[in-house]
Order: sequence, then structure tokens, then C-alpha cells
Amino acid sequence: MNRALPEMLHCLSGPGNGTDITVLERQRTRVKWQHQEQQNYFVGNFQDLVGDGRCGSVLRHVVTHSVKPDPGFEMNSTITRTSSCPHTEAQVAPEAKGKVSEPAEKMSSTVGRESYKKRKADKVQNTKVVAEDDAKDKRSKVCAEEGESKITTEQTRTKNTTTHPNNRETSADTSRENSKASEVQKPDYIHVRARRGQATDSHSLAERVRREKISERMKYLQDLVPGCNKVTGKAGMLDEIINYVQSLQRQVEFLSMKLATVNPRLDFNIEDLFAKEIFPACSANFPTIGSSSEMTNPAYLQINPAQQMVACCGLEMGVNTPDLMALRRTISAPVSLPETYFDASCFTQLQPPSTWDADLQNLFNLDSNQGRSISFPSQPFTGSIEASNLKMET
Amino acid sequence: MHHSVSCLSYTWSFSRSSDGPTEPRMRNPSLIKEEFLKRWIIALRRCTSLKKNMNILERNKVVKLSADLAMASARNGTTSWSRALIANATRDNDNRILAEQILGPESEILVKRVSTMPFKTCNRRKIRSKRILKRSCSSAIRRVRKTVPRKVLANCIAKRLIQKRTHILKSLVPGGEFMDETTLMEETLDYIAYLRVQVDVMRSCTYC
Repeated sequence: MNRALPEMLHCLSGPGNGTDITVLERQRTRVKWQHQEQQNYFVGNFQDLVGDGRCGSVLRHVVTHSVKPDPGFEMNSTITRTSSCPHTEAQVAPEAKGKVSEPAEKMSSTVGRESYKKRKADKVQNTKVVAEDDAKDKRSKVCAEEGESKITTEQTRTKNTTTHPNNRETSADTSRENSKASEVQKPDYIHVRARRGQATDSHSLAERVRREKISERMKYLQDLVPGCNKVTGKAGMLDEIINYVQSLQRQVEFLSMKLATVNPRLDFNIEDLFAKEIFPACSANFPTIGSSSEMTNPAYLQINPAQQMVACCGLEMGVNTPDLMALRRTISAPVSLPETYFDASCFTQLQPPSTWDADLQNLFNLDSNQGRSISFPSQPFTGSIEASNLKMET
Repeated sequence: MHHSVSCLSYTWSFSRSSDGPTEPRMRNPSLIKEEFLKRWIIALRRCTSLKKNMNILERNKVVKLSADLAMASARNGTTSWSRALIANATRDNDNRILAEQILGPESEILVKRVSTMPFKTCNRRKIRSKRILKRSCSSAIRRVRKTVPRKVLANCIAKRLIQKRTHILKSLVPGGEFMDETTLMEETLDYIAYLRVQVDVMRSCTYC
């Protein structure tokens, strides 16, 4: 008996070339069918079908709300949809073309759960019932989509008295979304659907979209901010976030003050940093580039600081090397410090360079190039060895 | 305390596409740290080259400014807070030269991009008018409040709380005054990630 309707529809669709069976005709067939059956039987069936988790919580949701007698129509209509649902697979071949094409077209409109269609003509009919849970598996996609599409059309009909605008709407839907694949959303729209039992005007829809976006981001913030898991609700989470941001900002202030006091010259031994935490994989024989760069300064006293900045920056940005190399370059880029830079503390830091890789040689050649000329990246690495010799001696 | 270091297991950033649902992109935290450190060191070097023997306050300012600008430039104007940071830094004339020096050759491009953001002036007017409206409305609401049932009252109170806190958050996040709530949330996420990176890097700097 459950197969009666689909077969009926199929019969209808047969002569009418299948693809063009309108919603109105479907309704008619359904009404005819319903008159033949008893309600209780449908109830039982419906429960069974819902229990068969194929069409998922979508229909359960519908069931819990739609157990009123009034709409013998409504109930039957939902049942008819669900009854047709599991059977599509059995009858995929003959029905697929007839039914799937149309629901697929309609379905493309229901795919975007979060879609908000702004159409001036049909604002009232703009609302479609959305299912909260996503019942789309690949396998049951057709079935669920069919079920949903029919649910949506039916529910809109129950909400609105006239069927024609709905048909117009759905046909407009199908025509507009005919070309779309079922997965693609329209780029210029944000599609939403009203949930069942909730307000359906466009303002509240937009409001709901906004709220959902915000709550989605709140969830990410919950992960990011420690201690946010225990608090629920917007206000509490906002409180936590504010506290966290404030504490981080205070930490930054404190640390910067500390750095300023500890380091009178604001230079940092990068190799220590690397060795410690940030780059544990870094090699240990990182010669004291930072300190040795200070020794190269007398060679570059004549350099214009601005040009040097440019040079250093250009070098650093223009060269496509791993970060380490780039950092080395920036560190060793002479910052044109005057001789007063060489105070006692500086000398105490110096250690004889233990190893000189070819890299470092190139590096210092590069520096010397830098010192001599301005146009860099095109400069070959010829450079004099004087600078490196200077360093070697100390 | 290594809590924050261990917590920085991921950072999120939302795609900036206007259509469709935005999804978070995961960024490698160590990459961010590297980049931040790199830029910061460069900025610091530039600053120290400009002015030697700064007193402690100046140094403090320099450190903070360079760190801010380093991270903001790392974002390259993709996020609103970074733009606001740069805008704030370049607005005051005394900081301006320093900031421009720090940013280096890219400063012109960045400043241009920042200044072309037209949101500030028109939003200020909007916000001012909103505030006036709110004040007039709140005085009206106070009159009505006594007759309102408890549920609605609780709702109102909750809303008020949320509004207050959103306002505070807006004042915390740079450039937050001119955003709506959704963008504010995104920006806070990004900003928090950046602050964490900054704290981690600075802390490891102090310990060496």
C-alpha cells in the first residue's frame, strides 16, 4: 500500500513526460490517495518509517510537531512523503528520472540551509521549513531531499492558504536554480530558512542568521580562550574574553617594560632564542652572528643609515630563502652603529667564531657588498674578503 | 608559566569571503611566531639605529610600538585590527616618523591602504547618532520598566549586560569601535592569537 502513491505518481508522470509533473498534480494524486486510506494506518506507518532512520531526524522533527488531526491533510501529506521516501531506492530506475529531476531542482534550493532569499514579490511565501539536523547522506540523499523538498512545499502550503503562489514560488525556484548543481549555493545570496514554528518575516530571518554567525564564532573563541568551557551564555563568555584580552595586554606591557630594562640596547641574541624554544631543531653551532656583526661596523661607518635600512630590508624580503637564512641576514645586517657602540659589555660578549660555514662567508660578503653599494639584489656575491678577515682576527 | 605556550596549539582565522559561510583556517602557530619574531627584530634594529641611548620610557614605547607594527604588517592589512593599529600609530605626529621608519619601505603602501579605509568617518557619525538615540530611548524605557513582567525584565537585563560587555570589548580591540558584532568576534579571535604570539615571543626573549 505504501507503494501505491509512488506508482500513482509514476503513472501520472508517465504520460506527462515525467519531468514536468507539477506540485499541484502531486497534491491532487495525494489527496486522492489519502481518501482511500485510513488515518490510523498512516500513523502506524509513519512511525515505522520514522523509526527507519533513513530520513533521519528531519522527519522525526516533523512528526513531533505534526500529530494534529486537523490536518489530516498535513499528516497525510507528510506521510505520503515519507512513504515514498524509502521506496525510491527500490524504484530508483523508473522514478529517478521522473521525480529526482524535479526534486533535485527544488532541492538545490533547500540545500543551502542557511539561505536567505530576498525576493520582494513573495516575502510571505519566502519562508520554508528547515530541518535542523542534516539528514543528508550520500546514499539517502535523494530520498531525504525528496522528503525534505516535499515537506517544505507542503509545510509552506499549510501555512499559507493558497497553493498557487507556492507553485509559482517553487516553479520560480526550479527555474532559477535549474542550472545549479545541488551542492552549489548562489554566490550573491545568503540563504536561510525559517525553522518550523518560528517567525518567518525577513527581519527575523536575518536576525537569526546574524545570531548563528555570532554563536559560531563564540564557539571558536571558547576553544581559544582558556576557561571558557565552564561558562555558558553570551554574557559570561564575553566576560571571560574581556578578562583574557585585558590580561594578555597587561602581560605585553609588563614584558615590554621588562625587556626595556633588561636590555639597554634592545638587541637580542637570536641564537639563544632559537636554541631555547622557538626553533629547537636549529643547529647548535650558530656562531655569534649577533655579536660579530658589531665588529663589522667600523667597515661601514660611511654608510647612510637610511640606505642601509633599505638594503637590509630589501635583502631580507627579496631573497627567497628559508627563514633561518633570512634571519641571519637581518641580524648581520649592520645597523651603522657608531664607535660608541663598542663598549666593554660588547667585547665581553664576543667569542671567537668557532665555525665558518660557506653560508656565513657568503653572508658577510653580502654584507660587504651592502656596505659598498646601494642597488642590491642584482649584485653578485663578489664582495671583498676584508670584512670577513676583520672578523676572523678578533 | 608555559600554559599559554602549550595552549597555542592552533590559531584560527576566518576566510574573508563575503559569500557563503566563513570557515576558520588553521594557521601554523610556529610560522606565525617566526614571522613575528623576524619582523620585530627588524623593527627594533631600525629603531635603535635611529636613536641611541634612549631612556627607559622611550625604549618601552619603542618595544611595544615595534611589536605592534610588526604583527600588524604581518597581517598585511587583511584584518581590521591591524589596520587600526597602523592607523593609530601613524596618526600621532610624534610617533609617526618612528612608525614609518619601522615599517620601512612598505610603509607607504600600508599607510595608503589603511587610510583608504573609509569606514571611520561615516561610522563615527552613525555611532554618535546611535548613542543619542539610545540615551533618549533608555530614558523612555525607565518609565516603562515598573509595569513590565519579570521575564521580560530579565531579558532586558541580560541584553544590557551583553551590550555593556560588547562595548568594553570594542574598546579593547583596536579598531573595534566601528565594527558590527560578527566582525568584532572574528577580529577578537585574530587579535587574541596575535597577543598570545607576542607574549610568548617576548617572554622567551626575556629569559635568554
